[in-house]
Order: sequence, then C-alpha cells, then structure tokens
Amino acid sequence: MIAAIVAILSMTVIGLCIALAIDPALRGFTLLGLAFLYGSGAIFIDMFLLAIAHVRWNLATVSIPLLAIVIVFALKRRPPSTVHRPPELHWLDIPTALSMLGFALFATAAPLWEWDFWAIWGLKARVFLGVGGIDWKFLESPWNAFTHPDYPLLVPLNFDFVALLNGGWSDRWLGLLSVAWAAALLLIIRGLAAEEFSVVPSALITLTVTGLAASRYPGLAEGPLIAFGASGLLFVRRALQSDDSAAWRHGAILLGLAASTKNEGLALLVAASIALAIVRWRALWRLWPSFAIAMPWLILRATHTLATDIASGSAMSRALYRLHFAGQILLYLAQHLYEPWFWIAIVAGLLIASSKWRRPDAFIMLATLIQLSFYIGSYFATPHDARWHVATSWPRLTDQIAIPVTYIVCITLAKYAAAMKDSPRAEARPLES
Amino acid sequence: MAAIAFLTIVAIRIEPQLLQLPFAGTRTLSAILSRWPETQMPGDWLRYPRFLQQVEQRTQAGDTIAVIIPNMKWNDGYSYAYYRASYFLPGRRVLPLLDPDDRAHMENFYAANYVIVWHRPTHPRLGEVVWLGEGGVLLHRK
Repeated sequence: MIAAIVAILSMTVIGLCIALAIDPALRGFTLLGLAFLYGSGAIFIDMFLLAIAHVRWNLATVSIPLLAIVIVFALKRRPPSTVHRPPELHWLDIPTALSMLGFALFATAAPLWEWDFWAIWGLKARVFLGVGGIDWKFLESPWNAFTHPDYPLLVPLNFDFVALLNGGWSDRWLGLLSVAWAAALLLIIRGLAAEEFSVVPSALITLTVTGLAASRYPGLAEGPLIAFGASGLLFVRRALQSDDSAAWRHGAILLGLAASTKNEGLALLVAASIALAIVRWRALWRLWPSFAIAMPWLILRATHTLATDIASGSAMSRALYRLHFAGQILLYLAQHLYEPWFWIAIVAGLLIASSKWRRPDAFIMLATLIQLSFYIGSYFATPHDARWHVATSWPRLTDQIAIPVTYIVCITLAKYAAAMKDSPRAEARPLES
Repeated sequence: MAAIAFLTIVAIRIEPQLLQLPFAGTRTLSAILSRWPETQMPGDWLRYPRFLQQVEQRTQAGDTIAVIIPNMKWNDGYSYAYYRASYFLPGRRVLPLLDPDDRAHMENFYAANYVIVWHRPTHPRLGEVVWLGEGGVLLHRK
C-alpha cells in the first residue's frame, strides 16, 4: 500500500512541475488534477524512452530523468502574470467525496480481480518488470495475441513504476492508481466547471460524472482512458471558448496521453481532430503534441508487426458483409445500451438546450458522435462474433464517451435554467459565440 | 424545464452503491473479489493460483511450460488456465496445447521442458514428477 501511495505522490509532484511549466497560472483543483495526470504521463514517457534506449529499469534509472524534471522546473520557475482563483468548496461536494471513498474501498477490496487485468494490463506489467523493459519477444509471440500486444503501454508502465517502488510485483494495492486517475478527472471537472459557473452547479456536475469517472473496472485502462480523454476534450473546448494557448497545450497533451492508454484513445484523437477540423480547421495544428506523444508507439508496433485483432484478416469484407445485418446490429446495440434512462435524459437535455449550443459545445458533440461511429464500425469489422463483442464491450465503450457530453449538457441546462449567459467570474474573458 | 432536466440527470447518475460503501464495510466484498477470477469458470479452480505460485518457485525464468487441465476445451476453462498461468509465471514461456478453435498444438508439448497438470492423473510418459500439491502436478520433460 505504501508503494502505491508513494508512487501517486511522486507522480503528483513531478506532474505539478510539468503542469506549472505549461501553465503558471494554474491553481486549486485543476492544478492538482492535472498534476497527477501529467505525472502519470511522465512516468510512461520516461520508462518508454528508457526501454527504447535499452536502459534496464530500476529505481535509479527511472528516477534520474524524473528528478531532472523537478530540478529544471525549480531553477526556471517564473511567477505567473495572472493566477486562477481556486474554486470554493460546497457541502454538495461531500457526496462526491463519499462516492470516491466508496470507490477507493471497492478498488482496493482485493488484489485486482478483473480478467482483463491479469490477462492484459497486469500481465504485461509483470512480464516487463521481469526483464526491466518492454519484452518485445513476449509481445511478438503469436501465443500471446490474447494480451492485445498492439495496445499502448501507459497503464502497464505505471503499474511497473509502483512495482519498482515496492521492490517487486504486487497487485494488492494497484487499484489505488485507478482511484487517483478518477479523482484527478473529477478535480479537473470541478475546476473547469467553477470557471464557467457558480459553485452549486459546478459541485452538482462533478457529482453527476463521479460514477462514470470511477470506472467499474479498476485495474483496466478504462479509468485512465476516461480521465485523459474526457479532460483532453474539455480543455480543447475551453481553448475554443477562450483561445487560451495553455488550454490548447493541456488539451493536446491529454489527448496524446489518452492515445497512449488504449486503442480507443487513438480513435478519440482521430475523432477530436476531425471534429476540430470541422469546427475550426485553422486550429488543427494545435493538436500536434498529441500526435508527437502517440506516434512513437504506432511506429514501434508497426515495425514489430504486433497483432491487432479488429484489423486482422479482411476487416473491410467483414464490415461489408455485416452491412446486410445493420438493422439487427443497431437494434442489438440499442437493446444492450447500459443505463438507457441516463442516455434518454442526456438526449432530452440536448434537445431542451439546443438553442444555447455554441461552437465549443459542437466540438464535443461532433467528437463524441465520430467516436461513437468508430465504436459501432468496429462491431461491423470485428473478427469475433458480433453479439459476443457487443455484450463484452458496449457498456464500457459508452462509459468512455459519456463524461464530456454529460458535462456540456449539464452546464448548458444550468445556464439555461439560470437564464444567464455565463458566470460572473467569466465575464471578463472573451467567449466565442 | 431545463432545471428539471438537469436535476434528473444528476439524480440518475448518483451511485448509491458507492455512497453506501464507506458505511457498509468491505469484508464480504473482499471475500467475493479475492476469489473472483477462480469462480468465473466451471470447475474447481480455487487452489490454482497457489499451485502456480509453487510452480514459479520450482522453475526458472526462461523455462517453457505447457498446460494440461481436465477439460481441454478453449472456452470451457482452458483459456482461463493458460492466461492465469501466464500471469503467475512471468519470465517463463507458457504455451497452450490448443488454440481458440480447439485445434491441438502438440508441437508446444514437445517444445516445453515442464508440463503442469491440473486435477488430472498423470502418466510417466508426460515427464518426471518434480512436485505434487495444491491439486496439480509439475512434471519435468527430458
């Protein structure tokens, strides 16, 4: 347990330096949330680069680059020209905190138990720890195709950082990382909402998305994907609102880290890029850090010809064949929609607040719809039985895309209900209409 | 209308289970989740992780290990046994004796220098018994 806590604190300290280097004006919840996410990303990039350079992982080799980040930041730190005021707490934050405590108890109730943890994410981490780097032979073996060798490695490498601090592999307390990813996202949402609206709706919006951020699958990449992906999209939305260059950097880096977490994160990066090209194509270049972060893994997995199940064989012919059954597949998806009342409420909210949509909200809507179309398309192209694939993944996939759209629906409804354009504190900021 | 829609979404999304957990205790939950992977497949697998931990102690990194279980069907337990062995035996090369289409791969048996046999009688031709316990046998192939 101590190793996991030390790992989380170390990531937060390292990420604090990175977050403040990117945006010296950050304070409060948003800073704390970003600090953990950037720290998690920094650990991944550090260990990934060491593995590529054939430097064996140990506590010293992994820590030296991270310490360098902290020292460089300490020496070069400049005072910010402006500082975001930290948001106020409200008693409505108590149920959110209680829910997160409940999630922490759930995620650490036992050694991580999910099938995909010990067959994919934990297995890779354990194998890599043994060789002190990425075991390409293991990933290339056709007998290990079940581990999805093509999946990006942020999560296994974060687990390995905990194991290095622990002095060996233990899956007993790794669930704490899942709690930290969820908490980081909630802090960011609470901070972003507070910049747009007053304290009560901000606290309620955070409470609303708590169950989605606290992914039901601790130990899997769902939680970090949701954290990086949702916060990335929300920062791009903020950048579209304010044209704040720091928000662009946050959005791009977080989307790049989402793409380093799961293949769905790669799809999300493409979806966000298409949506941005439609909404404001001249801003598309701002996402270059995402591609810079995601590209090395894409190149390596191509050069090592790692197995990809969805694209294996003739994906196009499978998709064309299943087009004949499109009605049945879509009906099956509708029948197996997880928490249908929630989605009905979201669609109703979208319709009620439709007159209040702005271009930044359109970006979120488009990115979500494009991502949804990728997910549905994968069921047409899958080499597996489509019904089995839907049953085993559809609830997880819909969870992945729910937070950004929930955020904009709730915030627009709240604004609509309050019959005010924006929060008092946002009045000085130029907002795009 | 907008306020009602907003509050409806909030109400739908509140997770009572998460809110209750800090007050409910986690002893039962811990007991269920600790055994979770071993209770998702037909058959008696509760001692399988302890068996694999013993196998890890008696084999070396780099060893190649094949897996034999009572029901040699991919979806009836073999995939579980093979994946679980891969997780508990890091550094070893764990090989399956069949693939997801239930086709036999005897070349993996001949490539292995160890065989683990779970809940099934062994035969001297499979290899020499290295260790027996926790419901399984570790055999060394020469």
